[in-house]
Amino acid sequence: MLVYILRRLPQTLLVIFGVTLVTFIALQIGGDPTYLFVSERASPEEIIATRIKLGFDRPLYIQYFSYLKNLLFFDFGDSLYFRQPAMKVIFETLPATIELTVFSMLIAVFGSIPFGIYAAINRGKWLDGTLMAIAMLGQSIPNFWLGIMCILYISLNISWLPISGHVPFLMPIFQGDFIQGIKNFPTTVTYLLLPSFAVAFYSLSRNARLVRSSMLEVLSQDYVRTARAKGLTEYTVVMRHAMRNAWLPVVTIIGLEFGFMLSGVVVVEVIFAWPGLGRTVFDAIAHRDIPLVQASVVVISLFVIIINLITDLIYAKLDPRIKL
Amino acid sequence: MNTLEIKNEKSNNFKYIKNFFLSLFKNKWAFGSLIWLLIIVNVAIFASKIVPHDPNRNNIIERVAPPLTTDKDGNIKYLIGSDALGRDAFSRLIYGAQVSLTVGFAAVFIGGLIGISLGVYAGFYGRWIDDIVMRLADIQLAFPFILLAILFLVVLGEGLVNLILVLGIGQWVTYARIARAQTIAQKQKEYVEAAKALGVSDFSIMFQSILPNIFAPLIVIASFNVASVILAEAALSFLGLGVPPQVPTWGSMLAESRDHIFARRWWLPFFPGMAILLTVLAFNIIGDWLRDYLDPRLKEVE
Amino acid sequence: MKKLITGVAIVFGLILPSTSSFAAPPDDTFVVGLPTDTIGLEPAQISSRHTANILKHMFGTLFFISESGTLDPNLAESYSVSDDGKEYTFTLREGLTCHDGEPLTAEDAAYTFNRVVDPDLAFVGNSAGFVFPSIDFKEARADSELEVTIVMGAPNHIALGLISEVYVHCKDSYEKMSKEEAAENPIGSGAYEFVKWDKGNQIVMKKFPGSAVPANFENLIWRVIPEASTRTAELIANNVDMITNASPDQVDAIDASSTAKVQKVSGTRRMYVGFHQGEEYAVTEGGAAIQKSEVRRAIQYAVDVEAICANLLNAPCKRATGIVNPNNAHPTLEPYPYKPEVAEYLLDQAGYPRDGNGVRFEITLEAGQGRYLNDKNVVLAICQYLDDVGIKTTCDIMDWSSVYVPKIRKKEAGPMFFLGSGGGTWNPLYDMTDLATVESGPNYTKWTNKEWFKGWKVINNSMDPYVIRREIDRMLEVFYNEGPWLLLYFQPDFYGVSNRVKWQERRDEEVDIFDASLAN
Repeated sequence: MLVYILRRLPQTLLVIFGVTLVTFIALQIGGDPTYLFVSERASPEEIIATRIKLGFDRPLYIQYFSYLKNLLFFDFGDSLYFRQPAMKVIFETLPATIELTVFSMLIAVFGSIPFGIYAAINRGKWLDGTLMAIAMLGQSIPNFWLGIMCILYISLNISWLPISGHVPFLMPIFQGDFIQGIKNFPTTVTYLLLPSFAVAFYSLSRNARLVRSSMLEVLSQDYVRTARAKGLTEYTVVMRHAMRNAWLPVVTIIGLEFGFMLSGVVVVEVIFAWPGLGRTVFDAIAHRDIPLVQASVVVISLFVIIINLITDLIYAKLDPRIKL
Repeated sequence: MNTLEIKNEKSNNFKYIKNFFLSLFKNKWAFGSLIWLLIIVNVAIFASKIVPHDPNRNNIIERVAPPLTTDKDGNIKYLIGSDALGRDAFSRLIYGAQVSLTVGFAAVFIGGLIGISLGVYAGFYGRWIDDIVMRLADIQLAFPFILLAILFLVVLGEGLVNLILVLGIGQWVTYARIARAQTIAQKQKEYVEAAKALGVSDFSIMFQSILPNIFAPLIVIASFNVASVILAEAALSFLGLGVPPQVPTWGSMLAESRDHIFARRWWLPFFPGMAILLTVLAFNIIGDWLRDYLDPRLKEVE
Repeated sequence: MKKLITGVAIVFGLILPSTSSFAAPPDDTFVVGLPTDTIGLEPAQISSRHTANILKHMFGTLFFISESGTLDPNLAESYSVSDDGKEYTFTLREGLTCHDGEPLTAEDAAYTFNRVVDPDLAFVGNSAGFVFPSIDFKEARADSELEVTIVMGAPNHIALGLISEVYVHCKDSYEKMSKEEAAENPIGSGAYEFVKWDKGNQIVMKKFPGSAVPANFENLIWRVIPEASTRTAELIANNVDMITNASPDQVDAIDASSTAKVQKVSGTRRMYVGFHQGEEYAVTEGGAAIQKSEVRRAIQYAVDVEAICANLLNAPCKRATGIVNPNNAHPTLEPYPYKPEVAEYLLDQAGYPRDGNGVRFEITLEAGQGRYLNDKNVVLAICQYLDDVGIKTTCDIMDWSSVYVPKIRKKEAGPMFFLGSGGGTWNPLYDMTDLATVESGPNYTKWTNKEWFKGWKVINNSMDPYVIRREIDRMLEVFYNEGPWLLLYFQPDFYGVSNRVKWQERRDEEVDIFDASLAN
């Protein structure tokens, strides 16, 4: 196992390097970011002074290499827009996105399993048809649309469901205040319900169809017929034998899923006023806040890579056919 | 080949096609989807001939008119209403079909071109080419698509071309992986060995012999990808990064309608929303059907 | 599976009772819904009205300027002016303290002003970039325990108003903090004390017991809700008490709900389309055309501003007659009416007839989007109006902060560009200061009209209000006939207010929560 991880390390570093390079180049192509940090009525001298102060007058390669050097010390520089260390801004908004993403993934993965299984078991009947119709629909609705509809037709009509906003759970925990975090947890969950649903629905639908087809395949296998012939109840057959194998495709998908889900997360964070990293990154790019964008991208990429690694390991563990 | 063989081959082809359509017809969902797509494509192609009004001509006095609004003489002026600037929603919907479909097909074409080429090369040659392509794929995947899109579009500016480029480049990996895996599988087959022995060029082998054999799963992916490109365009329009303001697309029409939901102007989001929904659904259904038809074992292709 | 379902049901059962209803905020709390977060909480680094409004509740200024121009004491109770008009001496109230307990004296006030121009801190923002250059700030000094003097380079009629835009804080606390710390840990001097800032989510404030200025609500929360529909939904659900920037299309829906209403106010922000007068644009046909005052005058007749106001802004208006807000504007000038046939005639006369394609000349209109009320649609409508009279207009709408603002700052936007400039109602000169000199920052059109600019000399050298007003009127006539602005409207502001509270809006985009109260 350790060897496997070590083998993956250079690849990981390469990927991160590539990611920072791409963001750096991309953002510099656009032009001079100096103008965002002066008031509407500032003078030209003010602007020149600001440009020098923020370092935009230096040649590009010098800017990039000094950036790389700092990266090794986890110093991402100051967010230009917030005028604070970029890492600090990220840490403040990261927990919220983790909450949202994890909860959404839980829904997308665990929600899809009963979904897909019921459809598979009832194949051909109306339940299967309905569930699959919902799943098809889920893959065809723009997720910002789903979010807005949820707000309008669900949260506005149910008073205990919050409309937007956030109550922190992970953040107090990271800061060491476990009690406050645990106290907040139930409230955080209620705030999480609709946004995670909006993020997860697409993946949930896709996974459900995957589970269904995988389940159908498994159910027609010999060993299942053997189990049935042995006289085991349908329930046992499904739960014990079939499900474990039906799981596997879903696990492989999780790694990819994470990346795709982040796309939905940005949109949903805007609609539901969820103060997470997705929203921060979007604002940061609009403001040409290069340090913050780069820092966010590195952090997000690290996450995706780690998740991929973990899922690869889980998959390997679960499927004995694969050698590490 | 003698005449008998040629005739057999022709009738085989004919049978093949006949089976294709018969199967399609039997599955009413797929058939319905195909009909819808044909309608949409035709609307898109003949857009300029069928629009009743200039989609970009605004008339703020007649803004947000409900559907079936008539003019002074009692003729229907705005079939499905007018938008926030008084532009005819029906004309915009029609042109929107043109733009959305163009973006969808073009992006898939570009993504496919890049992805399939890279994937086939990687699968065929293996070793360092394979490594590089897979590393590039990893970097691409580490980048959540929307960040890549936002980055590109903010830096290079809005515009149809940039949008297509971004959406195209965003999906090359999906083709590359399948193409690569399939190429590796095909590489072992006899006809490849035979061609090599005959001295056929690598390029020829890859793109004239192997490619046609691996096309099936790639078409399935393409169908699903058109669907997701249309959805992605909608999301980017929502974030303000889609096409320039005057260009009508279903995604931007939907995005612009947000403000009006509260005002109960249901027609503004309904029609573009349904257009997106139906078209995306159609592509998904066709993709599903194609996959089942071409090879039921390709279930894991998604 | 059954176990799983039971488990989930139990968890939900536990969750539901413990989360109380999310209805209205408690009686002692006022919640504001904002479209964007603030950039930082550094008082010397404010670059938008938005941030200023938030910080205004945490920091005191020397005086409050009311909308009508009257001075209300804030941290200072009185002032005097030196004979040469260059020194303003303010007498602070006794017994003031900052929120950390440090007594606030003249030394602190002087420190505040001098800190703004501290070269090490290099602030850019409203104070450093607009206020201080406008008054030609030299230095601030404490003359005694409670007397602080601001020294300027030349007399200035609106000095008091400008000086009152500076937020005052204590010396010891800010001396100890680095610039980064200061941006996150404001130690104020005003009615409300900083509690916390959850980035991207909310800013929480609590009433400060020893404040010089009274305030009603104990707690003040500023919530960030970027999506307009979500903001409206929260308002209607009464989870927030007030939202700024309610969208014009949602006004009717809010009014129709039984839980909130919209308070519409005619604002003071001058919206205009600038005609660039610089040589760099004279090389294009369109650019050269708009440098002729006859053409500019013709264009004034081509745009139906009242239709734009009524339809796109949901706020019927009277078109602007000049750069100054209506209460201080020229007494007799009438707004240009919408008469496209007159526009066409004048354009013919000016030497730009329609060619075979119906086009007189081509021109580009640049704009940013998302900054002003319905800006994108307003600009598209204007382009259409110009097209209709034969001026083929390319509407170039770009991203506001990263593309458009830099162009504007460099005075390179053009040849026509859409923009708004914040104004005031307390003195016409404040509105006119945008064009105080040819080199003025806000002179984005690079206008150089001598008739206008020579008027400033007269104004600055006179103390006779009659003479000043007469000169102002003369200048405004010049502006009306030959000005570099396509006159549009004063941007209305829509504040959505829940029925739970009573709150008075202001016309100048400033938001005061001090006097807000519960509705019953």
